[in-house]
Amino acid sequence: MTIPAISIRDVTMDYPTPDGVNHVLDHVSYDVAEGHFVSIVGPSGVGKTTLLRLLTGLASPTGGEIHVRGERLSSSPEGLAVVLQDYTRSLMPWLTVAKNISLPLRRAKMSRSAVRERVEESLAEVGLTGTDRSYPWQLSGGMQQRVSIARAIAVRPSILVMDEPFASVDAQTRFDLEDLVLKVRDDFGITTVMVTHDIDEAVYLSDEIVVLHGKPAAVRDVVKVEIPFPRSQMATRNDHRFAELRTRVYGMVRGLE
Amino acid sequence: MTRFWRWLLAILIGAWLPIVFVAWWWNASAESTNPFFPPLSVIWEQFKVNWVFELVPVHVMPSIRNLLIGFLIAVVIAIPAGTLIGASRNGTRYVEPIVDFIRSIPPVALVPIFILLLGLDAQMRITSIAFSASFPILLATIEGVRSTNLVVLDTATSFRLSPSAILWRVRLPGAMPTVFSGLQVGFQIAFVVTIASEVLGSGFGLGAFTLIATDSFLIVDAWTGVVLLGILGYLLNIVFDLVERLSLRWYYGQKKLS
Repeated sequence: MTIPAISIRDVTMDYPTPDGVNHVLDHVSYDVAEGHFVSIVGPSGVGKTTLLRLLTGLASPTGGEIHVRGERLSSSPEGLAVVLQDYTRSLMPWLTVAKNISLPLRRAKMSRSAVRERVEESLAEVGLTGTDRSYPWQLSGGMQQRVSIARAIAVRPSILVMDEPFASVDAQTRFDLEDLVLKVRDDFGITTVMVTHDIDEAVYLSDEIVVLHGKPAAVRDVVKVEIPFPRSQMATRNDHRFAELRTRVYGMVRGLE
Repeated sequence: MTRFWRWLLAILIGAWLPIVFVAWWWNASAESTNPFFPPLSVIWEQFKVNWVFELVPVHVMPSIRNLLIGFLIAVVIAIPAGTLIGASRNGTRYVEPIVDFIRSIPPVALVPIFILLLGLDAQMRITSIAFSASFPILLATIEGVRSTNLVVLDTATSFRLSPSAILWRVRLPGAMPTVFSGLQVGFQIAFVVTIASEVLGSGFGLGAFTLIATDSFLIVDAWTGVVLLGILGYLLNIVFDLVERLSLRWYYGQKKLS
């Protein structure tokens, strides 16, 4: 049996609040297979972002365990990179694009020329060659999110975790970024976990969709997306399986099914 | 360098009121026979004799030297200390009451205490300047570092940056706009204390010069000292502004776009 990239076992998360304990997650279990693209969907406020913070080691579950490639998670694990929704804050405004991307490489103890090369490669991968000396705030929203993707892949992660990465960009940019993420996944064979509230996007990108539902939230269902890769914005979205899946997932998220 | 010229233009536009004021002063005082308010033309003649540049090495240089050394010591101590306090979970709670207490004492009132403790030499003056200037810098740094954006912190943590890298490369740089507001206040206080620390037991420095002139009824000389103090304070402020604009280019650039 192969070891899953991420294994979530019976994870429970409670927050203490002034009005008593807030139960967010209740015995969530799920395995992310190596190389898969998995989306986590659910109604807003259900605890998707909480689950994502647990996966990245930014918070610890109240109960249960998370293993990343067989190792129990205690802090942010090596080989896992994160892209957050709020690119305007997650990129450091006082650093140039190149310095933002090389910041996570500080740990790697690479030579200066190796770092420069890695920055160039990462920028080329996201189609932003030549912006290395700009500041992030001089770029458009979509370009800034490309920079944070470049920064994430600069460490050559085996797992990429994204929290609503395309929530604050316009629709056209969103399509471009979705295809970029698929390309990055192909080029580097990265296991990808994405939280999103956009069901179309989840169907378009994923191998599997995890539907969270309830209060406290549990895994309501896991939907396999059996539309072959490579996918394309035109063809895939016109595929009858796409329409069926989005209707089904939509029903689950709304609690209609 | 168009940005430089625009900056210069802004200063010139801001100068209209001082120009009007000087013109009024010049005219209103022209016929004055009051020994305490000599005509500005007389003050100006004496100003040229004293400060272009006969007495500059004796009285201006020591003041500026004390000011810069004292301010620099304050910066070097207060910014690292504020960073550590602001980043520690309870640091602020333990430190803030005492800092607030000391800060509430007018800095000039502390000068006599420093004289008692350290005597009347330049060391005492520099210590008073550094001490008084460090509090606003310390408080601003604490505040800036404490309010680091959580998304920035999460991002840095997920990169597995070391705690010290997060502190010095992420939290402190992000706090710099706030830190600079403290530096500005600290610099103004440092200037005031520089002059105040010279009025006792010193033969040199602008504060000493002005006080001795007043005590000796050299009223015109005293006026030239006051005028020079005003000009000097203004120029130092411009220099400070320029340093801030250069250091926080990213901050002002971002603000202009949003």
